[in-house]
Parts: sequence; C-alpha cells; structure tokens
Amino acid sequence: MSIGLALVERMGELTRERHGPMALANAERNRPLIGKSLACLRNVSIGEDEAIVIASGPSVAKRNPGPRLKDYRGALIAADSAFVYCLRHGRVPDLVVTVDPHPTRIVRWFGDPAMETTDDYFRRQDLEPRHEQEIQANAETLDLMARHAKGVRIALSTSSSEAVVKRVHELGMDVHWWNPMHDDPDEPDSITARLFEANRLPCVNAGGNVGSAAWMMAHAVLGKKRVALVGFDFAYYPDTPYTRTQYYREAVDLVGSDNLDQVFMRIHNPYLGQWFYTDPAYMWYRTALLDMARDADCKTINCTEGGIVFGDAIDFQPLDSFLT
Amino acid sequence: MSELLKGNFKTKQTVEAPEAKPESLEDRFEKAAMKRLGGSIAYVAKRKVLWDK
Repeated sequence: MSIGLALVERMGELTRERHGPMALANAERNRPLIGKSLACLRNVSIGEDEAIVIASGPSVAKRNPGPRLKDYRGALIAADSAFVYCLRHGRVPDLVVTVDPHPTRIVRWFGDPAMETTDDYFRRQDLEPRHEQEIQANAETLDLMARHAKGVRIALSTSSSEAVVKRVHELGMDVHWWNPMHDDPDEPDSITARLFEANRLPCVNAGGNVGSAAWMMAHAVLGKKRVALVGFDFAYYPDTPYTRTQYYREAVDLVGSDNLDQVFMRIHNPYLGQWFYTDPAYMWYRTALLDMARDADCKTINCTEGGIVFGDAIDFQPLDSFLT
Repeated sequence: MSELLKGNFKTKQTVEAPEAKPESLEDRFEKAAMKRLGGSIAYVAKRKVLWDK
C-alpha cells in the first residue's frame, strides 16, 4: 500500500486529534451565544425543488461557473470559501455553511477586519488567483460582505472559531446553529451525544469538510431531491506543482521532497478523459462523500467539470446540462 | 536508589532493562507532520442528521 493510501486510512483519526479538542472548546465557548437552531430551516421551501452546492476547488477558476449561477432558481448553498465568489458574480447564496474550527484562517472567507499578517496557506493552494494578493483580496471581501452579507442565512457550526462567530454576527447574517458529529451518537460515552444533551442542536454528519457538510444540508435539512455539486474537485489538475497543494510542507516533512509521488495519488476521470491527482485529505473526503451519497435521499449530480468525485451514487455531467 | 529497590530473590537469567531508543530527527518531523494533517472536522460513517434522541 502506498504511503498516500495508508494516510487516507488514518485521516479520521488524525482529524480527530488535530481538530477535535479545538472544535469542542469552541462549542463550549459558543454555548452562551446560541440562538436559532438549524432545525428552523428543516424542510423550509427555498427556491425550486433542487439545489446547487458550490465549493471552491480549482475548477472554479478554470470553468468559471459564476455567470451561469446568477439566474439559478433552485437553492444555492455555498461553502464558506465560495461565499465571496458568489457575491462577485452577482448571486447571493440562499445558505452559507461553515464548520472548520481553525482559529485564524476561516474568518478570511468572510473578510477579516483584523487581518494584520498574511498567511501563505491561501497563496499556496490552487484556489482562485485573487488569493495570491491576500491583502487586496481581503479588502475586496470586506467590501462585498459589507454590501451583501446582511440577512444571508448561515449554518454556523458550534465548532466555529471565536473570530468567525464574531464576524458573522457583526455582518448581521441570519445565524442558524448546528453541531457537527464528532463520533457515532449511539455509542456509549459519545462526545456528540453529550454535546447534543448540552445544547439541543441538531448534529450533522459533515463528511470531513465544509463542502460535504453543505451537500448534507441541501438534502437532509432543506429536503432537496436533486443536488448538483460545483467546485467539488477534491483533486488537483495534473499541471499543478506539488508546492501549490494544501499539505505540501507536511508531505515534505513526512517523506522528503524527492519522494512526494508516494503521498499523492493519480486518478483518471473517464467522463473528461483526463488525469487528476489528489492528496490523502481530499481522497478521504471523496471516499466519505461517495459513501454518504449511497445513503442519501437525493440524486447527486457532480457538475464540477473537473476532479475525481464520481461513482455509482454520483452522476457526472456538465453544469449546463443540469441547468437546462 | 538501587539499595531501596533491592529484590528478595535471584532471577535464573540475567535481566537487562532495554535502553530507550533516542527519537531521531526524522521521527520528530514525521510526528509533527502527522499532527498537521487531517480534514476540517470528523466524518461519521452513514449517519445524516441527529434531530432528536
């Protein structure tokens, strides 16, 4: 087994070690601030009987779905990282979702008024090119949020950082709280069950990342029966240098710069006739999403037009086909 | 200390305490890298939403 695949098997455990205590500490700190529950959105009619969920994989810059989403009549659900992209294309999402507990990075997706230092996390990743000019991008985000974020629904996870919680309230967003599942709530001594007893908020299986959490909201909360995915690459285009991947530094520390091929995995997308490569975290997200899609009460159609998210429970087609 | 921990019988074979292997620089890098890997939040197989218990 390659090092990459071995790491995929450990991603759940590594995520729990890395973010579990932080997420629970955030939940405890956020408890006095909890207002409306995500349950208020359960089966609420938003848009037509279908949804598009947008994340911010590298295909967003290459395929530019924004102009095609402007007049979409279904519900548009955005991962936090894709919120500003939607605003830049003149479409306010019907729901924004956030979950990652990181103390300083996630607030940047909402514009960070306190930004003092740059963080090459944003420049290193294969995101939209605007992120390479971090200070300028943050200024643009601050401006767009000031003009459009007020009243926008957000599914705010109890795991969210103090900075994110403060920011979305300052913006006047319409906050709906939820718990991400940390473990199986039916198991004895479950952390999720204890969290639920403490705050009585719905617990959602987030699938490891905010995009999958947003997909879960589309069908399991809003009750959408057809859900399209945009910007769900969970992979890199083959010409992307390893240096522009999310865990490049960690991969170098693990295997050395001469052995990086052992960490990354290559996958052929037969719908596009194209190869992509992926890292252990993205591969874990992909496996989890395919697993969850098999169990979902909706049809999932991947309209990313790139990447590696396809399988028996997820159709793959161009965004224009879904929209017509 | 050895006086205090003196035993009251003799072992048939000589017992040697294993020496602790010093952690290499590579091991430390690997551990540090593993701590920084992972997703955003946990994934729980085949559960959707827990609305109530």
